[in-house]
Amino acid sequence: MVVRIKNLVKRYGDLLALDHLSFSVNDGEIFGLLGPNGSGKTTAINCLLSLLEYDKGEIEIFGQPMAPDAYHIKREIGIVMQNVAVYNELTVRENIDYFCGLYVPDKKSRKELVDEAIDFVGLADFADFYPQKLSGGLLRRLNIACGIAHKPKLIIMDEPTVAVDPQSRNKILEGILALNRQGATVIYTSHYMEEVERICTRILIIDKGKPIATGTKEELKAMITMEEKITVETQQLTPEQLARLRALPHILSAEYQNGLLVVKSGRGGHNLETVLSFIRKEKIQCGKIYSELPTLNDVFLEITGKHLRD
Amino acid sequence: MPVFKLCLKILRKNVPSLAIYIFVFIGVAVIMTFSSVNEQAGTLAFTRSKTNIAFLTEENTPLVAGLKAELAKVANFVELPDEKEALQDALYFRNVSYILRVPKGFTEKFMQGEQVRLEKTTVPDSYSSAYLDLSIDQYLNLARLYLLHLENPTQEALAKHVADALAAEAEVKLLPGGAAPDMQLSANLYFNYLAYSLLSVIILGMSVLMLSYHNKDLQRRNACSPLSAASFNRQFGLAILTFTGLVWLLFIILCLLFNSKNIQSPSTVFFILNSLAFAVCSAGLSFLIGNLVTNAKAIPAICNVVTLGQSFISGVFVPAELLGDTVLKIAGFTPAYWFVAANNHLAGLQQFTRATLQPVFNGMLMQIGFALAFFALALVAAKKRRLE
Repeated sequence: MVVRIKNLVKRYGDLLALDHLSFSVNDGEIFGLLGPNGSGKTTAINCLLSLLEYDKGEIEIFGQPMAPDAYHIKREIGIVMQNVAVYNELTVRENIDYFCGLYVPDKKSRKELVDEAIDFVGLADFADFYPQKLSGGLLRRLNIACGIAHKPKLIIMDEPTVAVDPQSRNKILEGILALNRQGATVIYTSHYMEEVERICTRILIIDKGKPIATGTKEELKAMITMEEKITVETQQLTPEQLARLRALPHILSAEYQNGLLVVKSGRGGHNLETVLSFIRKEKIQCGKIYSELPTLNDVFLEITGKHLRD
Repeated sequence: MPVFKLCLKILRKNVPSLAIYIFVFIGVAVIMTFSSVNEQAGTLAFTRSKTNIAFLTEENTPLVAGLKAELAKVANFVELPDEKEALQDALYFRNVSYILRVPKGFTEKFMQGEQVRLEKTTVPDSYSSAYLDLSIDQYLNLARLYLLHLENPTQEALAKHVADALAAEAEVKLLPGGAAPDMQLSANLYFNYLAYSLLSVIILGMSVLMLSYHNKDLQRRNACSPLSAASFNRQFGLAILTFTGLVWLLFIILCLLFNSKNIQSPSTVFFILNSLAFAVCSAGLSFLIGNLVTNAKAIPAICNVVTLGQSFISGVFVPAELLGDTVLKIAGFTPAYWFVAANNHLAGLQQFTRATLQPVFNGMLMQIGFALAFFALALVAAKKRRLE
């Protein structure tokens, strides 16, 4: 086990930021910490890194208690902060070299690591640029390079893709997968469920500092009753027809708004066939029909009653 | 030492803005050097000048010829018609400064030992007329002296004796006056001006470093690294000291280069020691400002207010003698005042004993006191900032 957090409690005055939060991260995982803004993800990471004092709980990294002076543990951790933390007076290369130099004193091996990190994040063409000259996406990549250049065993990434263009986001996510393939354990926090779904092997959903659910994405989706969401474009649906549709077996809910009929159905039935048969029988004229599997947002919605981005 | 190297890189990036103050210092030093050379030329050089004179004589005797010959050494003779209006015009338009008329019978009366009088018309209160009066008196007094002591002298003999006596020249070397040598005074100028340049560069450099140091995101990122806070602070402190030392050394070298004549003077050592005390004090003040400033754009403005304000009231730009008592009393609360006061005292010293140097040591101690106060306040400000 790489990280173990037990009953972590953190208060900001009257606000309970972390409410007995517990989780563990296994070696080789990409562990996703998913929750809406203000759910306590960054607070949890700050406590984990001993940047914040906490009121109660235990934190162990690599089997040893984490503390502000646990430098031997910090040496094995790479950190990518939510806010880009680089020096504007240094070039891309100099920034990576500085942060790598905090971990690797040897100049020769550091040079190789810096070159490798620059190639890894695709900043070779910008190595001599100053940060002010970089776009938001490139700046985020530099932030990542500064965090991973020393090849840490554990990488903690706190919302590394905030305000990043799709191309850079894709590059960053591919990079995280590559780092994981190279053997690094990754803790990844985000409020973008698509990212977490795409790269994380295990996910913890938190809200208001409390753990809501944990497991692989399949396990999380299996926790909820909904199996399928069917959307039908139609301009003619009477309230009576909608009531009859809701009464069908395995239909959890049916809503009609702005020419869209959204039907959520539970497990065990031939849901799409049931809905299509109903449409034919009622002679409802319709346009496109979509069928979607549940997302993590649906999981969050079903458990908390609100959307992830509320 | 990654943090130490980082600080030096940050400072190197800011060299252009720091260099402005260094070039300003060099510019002022060059101007001071030239003006000092011109001043010295004005003080030490001597050029004999001649006054325009209209010499009108109603008799031509060897004695009068001798007087004219003697006056030729200090006067240019301007030929004018012996008409009242022409003479008055010449005097009014300053074509001549002095009109001398030798009346008829002058020589005869003189040779008989009678009281004689030359007629003169001059520009009122002019130094040149006084100068000519002296020359005429000198000639006639000397002639009378020979007349009294020689036996039956002829006019020719009298004129010759006087001419011989006045031909003897004594070499005159004009020494600079005042209590202290001029080179010490010029060193004083350089070192006084150092207060502005040194303080500006140190405040600017230090503030840039402190802004990076206090950047919350970078602080948190550095705190995640295996480098201990103590090691981080040690390297940062070393960088600050190195920067202060290098800037001080650079300015001292410039001061000595521009004022190379004073290097061997015993005052130089004390000027340098005083500037070192001021550099330490500047580092303290910069450290305090760096802990108070949160916006990079505010740094140049604060730097200007602190350095220019202090320099103006402490006698860096305007000599302290020209400043009012109230201004100087207020200036006493700034380190630059004590730095300048010590420099000014040093400039006036000819003997370097413990007693004569005591005011200089007092000035240095005051500056060190200021430095300690600034560092203490800066640490309080830093702690307050951390708690926020």
